[in-house]
Amino acid sequence: MTTPPAPSPLGTGISVRGLTKTFGSFTAVDDLSFEVAPARVTGFLGPNGAGKTTTLRMLLGLVRPTSGEALIGGRRYADLPAPMGTVGAALEATGFHPGRSGRNHLRVLAASHGIPDRRVDELLELVGIPAAARKKAGGYSMGMRQRLGLAAALLGDPDVLLLDEPANGLDPEGIRWMRGFMRHLAQEQGKTVLVSSHLLGEVEQTVEDVVIIANGRMARQGTIDELRGEPAVLVRVADPAGLARVLQEAGLDVQPEDGGLRVTGADGACIGEAAHAAGHPVHELRPLRTDLERLFLELTESPEHRNRNLATGTEAA
Amino acid sequence: MISLVRAELRKYFTTRLSWSMPLAMAVLGGLFAALQGLFLAVIGEFPGPDGSMIVPAEAFGEDVVARLVYTGGVQIGYLLALVLGILSMSGEFRHKTITATLLAAPRRGQLIAAKLASVAVIVAVNSVAFTLGSVVGGGLTLALGDASLFPDPAGLLATFARMILVLVLWGLMGFGLGVLITNQVVALFVGVGVTLLVEPLLGLGLTFVEQLADASKFFPSQASMSALDLFAGVDPGMAQSLGGAQDALSWGWGTLVLLGYAAFMAALGWLLTSRRDVA
Ligand SMILES: Nc1ncnc2c1ncn2[C@@H]1O[C@H](COP(=O)(O)OP(=O)(O)O)[C@@H](O)[C@H]1O
Ligand SMILES: [Mg+2]
Repeated sequence: MTTPPAPSPLGTGISVRGLTKTFGSFTAVDDLSFEVAPARVTGFLGPNGAGKTTTLRMLLGLVRPTSGEALIGGRRYADLPAPMGTVGAALEATGFHPGRSGRNHLRVLAASHGIPDRRVDELLELVGIPAAARKKAGGYSMGMRQRLGLAAALLGDPDVLLLDEPANGLDPEGIRWMRGFMRHLAQEQGKTVLVSSHLLGEVEQTVEDVVIIANGRMARQGTIDELRGEPAVLVRVADPAGLARVLQEAGLDVQPEDGGLRVTGADGACIGEAAHAAGHPVHELRPLRTDLERLFLELTESPEHRNRNLATGTEAA
Repeated sequence: MISLVRAELRKYFTTRLSWSMPLAMAVLGGLFAALQGLFLAVIGEFPGPDGSMIVPAEAFGEDVVARLVYTGGVQIGYLLALVLGILSMSGEFRHKTITATLLAAPRRGQLIAAKLASVAVIVAVNSVAFTLGSVVGGGLTLALGDASLFPDPAGLLATFARMILVLVLWGLMGFGLGVLITNQVVALFVGVGVTLLVEPLLGLGLTFVEQLADASKFFPSQASMSALDLFAGVDPGMAQSLGGAQDALSWGWGTLVLLGYAAFMAALGWLLTSRRDVA
């Protein structure tokens, strides 16, 4: 039994240790371990069916782990004295009673923690649906539901936010808003944010740390800068060997790739100018995928991962 | 804990059910009580087992007639109470609100306790509507039949209190059923089906098995009738002619048996909820 640590001035972190969940003979989460640092935004990434939602549900005590533990600030969710004051979660497939207004949905949750109705209205204002939330939830769009879910998560002014695919169903404007909102929560309010997504691009600009899982197992974790690697540019010219010499002399790392050159250490504008100055007309110049993008694409595209969901059916049969 | 009960009550009072159910309770209670009054007070006679006509007011006294009339809809009343209990949990699964509920109340034992308390309060409130409807409907036909409306006020109050208790216990039984069967439609179907069809048929079947012939008095519906104690002071043979069970339980035992069912179903609900994955 670990004794719960005193609340740290640095905020509340999350630790997942040896977490495993099997549904029948199917292992949805497989010996997963990672830490989420306080007051940072961590992306929890993986293809559909990787086990992200199941992991978050175990963190929240909704699903009982087969083995291992998932702790928030050193405690299980159900052991937190006022759970909504420590952790706010917006999970996938959270429903609303179609006949109850969004505002009343929040008022119900607020009542469970003695939170005043004033706070409910504040949050509806914050997520931008103060008027619509007085209508019945049955008619809400996906975007409205996401915003209402986020308001519910923030109700208790928690230190930790768990957001499961928050960008799903949002329009581009909504996604921009969500990104800004997450940054604001972490940077200005010092909240710990763990945000899941099956699309790297959705969270890439927002997150500082990344945990990538596939098949329920850890694939890679680290800061986003580590995982991204150095930005590289592909440049094509008529005489690649000639340009390579020029660029190498300028101190850049150059490797032949795909009939052109892969250059790291400078951005496209510098390389274009250097090529022009050396008298090499540029045929093509474009940024290459980062290591992170390549890794993610590999995980998503590999048939092994794509068929996982289908395989469950046959396994169970 | 109190705040969890408050949250559960707020859930109920923020949907249409909070006015449609008491309305249905009052109307149906009134309707069935009026119908009962029509037979017992307005028509005022029916053939007994031996073929001779029985005049209820003379045979049982005004007290019993009033009691029978005002509780005339009790079967529909406890059926609706059962429905209220079922909806408490199965509604959470149907609308996928269970996730939000468990995030707000992760200690599941406390959640169940809060839900049981709220079901009791909600059913009690609805039972009052039901009783008021029954008094209006039944009173109307009693008056039409020139029968006394409140022959024994204290006794009638006790009957109403017992009726409310019976309905609350049915609500708690329904709660357990709603946890057991999370598919709301199936749960409602099973709950209503067992009460209206399976229980009477089983009871009938048991009368042919000598050793078990007595068992049906322990069934929920029969125990409920005993708990209401409608035939106090009436000759058992006569009571049977009005639908009373042969060799019925005393009202105390009837209440205890119902309490047993409610406790069993609630415990089952608690056990299932504490272990269940919500994925
Ligand atoms: N209750 C359940 N019963 C059986 N299989 C499940 C259950 N919940 C999730 N799964 C399976 O576990 C895998 C991981 O699901 P999930 O955690 O939802 O993935 P993600 O959120 O990463 O898309 C999927 O293959 C899914 O079908
Ligand atoms: Mg998911």
